Amino acid sequence: MHVFHIHYRNTQGTLMRIINAASRRALDLPYVKAEANANAHQATLLLEVTPKQIGQLRRDWYAIVDVTEVQVSVVDFETGVLVPHPPISTGNVAQSATA
Amino acid sequence: MLRGAEITLQCMRAEDVDLVFGYPGGAIMPLYDALDGSGIKHILTRHEQGAVFAAEGVARATGKVGVAMATSGPGATNLVTGIADAKMDSVPLVCITGQVRSALIGTDAFQETDVFGLTLSLTKWSRLVKTIEEIPSVIAEGFHWARSGRPGPVVIDIPTDILKAKMEFVGPVKFASKANPSNGHAQPLFAKELIALLEKAKKPVALVGAGAKLAGAIADLRRLLDQLQVPTFATVHGLGAVPPSASYYLGMVGMHGTMAANMALDETDLLLVFGARLDDRVTGDPSRFSPNAKIVHFEIDPAQLDRVRPCELPIVGDLAETIPATHAVLREVPLPDWSQWRGVACGEERLGLEPRGLAVPTIRFLDELFSRLPENHVVLADVGQHQMWAAQRYRSCSPRGFITSGGLGSMGFALPAAIGVQLSKPDATVLCVSGDGGFQMNIQELATVHRLGLPIKLVIIDNKFLGMVRQWQQLFYQRNYAETDLSDNPDFVAISKAYKIHGQRISEDAMREFPISQETGNELDRFLRSPNPELLVFDTAPEANVFPMVPAGASLSEMLLEEE
Repeated sequence: MHVFHIHYRNTQGTLMRIINAASRRALDLPYVKAEANANAHQATLLLEVTPKQIGQLRRDWYAIVDVTEVQVSVVDFETGVLVPHPPISTGNVAQSATA
Repeated sequence: MLRGAEITLQCMRAEDVDLVFGYPGGAIMPLYDALDGSGIKHILTRHEQGAVFAAEGVARATGKVGVAMATSGPGATNLVTGIADAKMDSVPLVCITGQVRSALIGTDAFQETDVFGLTLSLTKWSRLVKTIEEIPSVIAEGFHWARSGRPGPVVIDIPTDILKAKMEFVGPVKFASKANPSNGHAQPLFAKELIALLEKAKKPVALVGAGAKLAGAIADLRRLLDQLQVPTFATVHGLGAVPPSASYYLGMVGMHGTMAANMALDETDLLLVFGARLDDRVTGDPSRFSPNAKIVHFEIDPAQLDRVRPCELPIVGDLAETIPATHAVLREVPLPDWSQWRGVACGEERLGLEPRGLAVPTIRFLDELFSRLPENHVVLADVGQHQMWAAQRYRSCSPRGFITSGGLGSMGFALPAAIGVQLSKPDATVLCVSGDGGFQMNIQELATVHRLGLPIKLVIIDNKFLGMVRQWQQLFYQRNYAETDLSDNPDFVAISKAYKIHGQRISEDAMREFPISQETGNELDRFLRSPNPELLVFDTAPEANVFPMVPAGASLSEMLLEEE
């Protein structure tokens, strides 16, 4: 299971667009939480996804106008700790984001 | 004090809108009531889908934002195909829809639909306007997102009571964008990696999509490709970006691309992608796509990266910045000599493949038409076999010269889109090629063509079948032509006459002799030069097929060159 934290400006439809990126792929949504977080809002989704889907979701979410940041973690069920999990292309995209 | 409708139109004028397409109805009546004197010309189509495709025609031909208007309920739902079409092909589009009055929203009122909800996954940005005060900012922001970054569709849904309400209006506002994480700024930080990849490459190729055209970077792209001199091919939306006369150009790539382009894409070890999303019509079986290639992807929209597999070097940013930056970097670097690879990829054995089979007369017909087009032209193709034949045969270096519904593949697109193209380019020769199936999907827009007196040249390639589906049925479903027979088509010439448009037929026999007869040639010249709308129906063999063809799920190396 992966945990996704998506930070966004709380404008009309943005939360629905975030969820739609998962639902259009027929992913089960066992846990969804949306909350105010400082100046922005944050949606937390728990999803069973492949590494390729992590990259796809991350890019889909960044393409939403009012999404500001996406964080991905893996649930370590033994310790209950969230471990940051860069998707396959994160390094490349991060490198080229300023390119 | 101005009404919301007047404020909406003034704000649209401030966004450089002078032409909209639409169809009136109850909820949007206040906006129509305010049109007179607004400085915005409204074109009444005969169906909302015609309006949105016509707006797309404007946008695709000019790069400006196309605008369509419709009422609530069925008016808005009829826009949906066009909105999806614009999303898939990155077309800047704003749709203004009327909504039932605010107090009735959510009550299943007459002609109420959740337009915001049903277009949410199809739009780049959308708003349901809640107060008259927010109209200026919503219009400004909507147009900003439609045209910025990777362009796309925007929906603005305005309840009728807000269109009728009044307020003091101080003027349109400008939208100040917050930083968009999708848009990086080009700095040659990628240079070292790119140079290293090029130095190692033995068989580099370049794939050109629509991105460079959308970014206005065609001249820069051509300079870069001239510098690289690597075998180059284009997606259907990239046609016209590279001059067909370029010695390294291999034509269209993908399912119905040229043998040379598909073979080069299959064999390459370094794929430079310029503004293309590598969809399944380009890649064939993704798991066997360019098996030896490293990928360098120039792209403005990070959501388009890594769709097939992770690319080695994503260069994210506006191609108008990243392409010149690349050109500047590579100008200082000695590039490897790829002439041997270029000789193989561009050799006569691969490029010299002549069309064969039942499609030859249709291909010759298109060749004859295209060769007679003046430089100032736009060719539109609808969706189906004729679209692929047209794409294969189109030879022009006009980046916006070939327009078609590529991503969504919306039959019925071409005729209404041609209306938008002709209105936005009144001096251009607009040639609209449709099939007999697609033409009937928006045939009602002949009335709009006649009303406006637009000199659009309409061609129907009439094989009395839903040809592309029939081709698949023939090749992959044992000729089970289930529900693709259109042999009871109406008489298109008689229909055009009813719409007061001159029409005529031409038989494929006229294309069997080569060169074609003087008489046939004169007829084609007259057709293209007529100052009036014209319809030409070309009767073609029912079982003519489009080749080459990469069967769905096959790799690019498994293309069929003819019927086996």
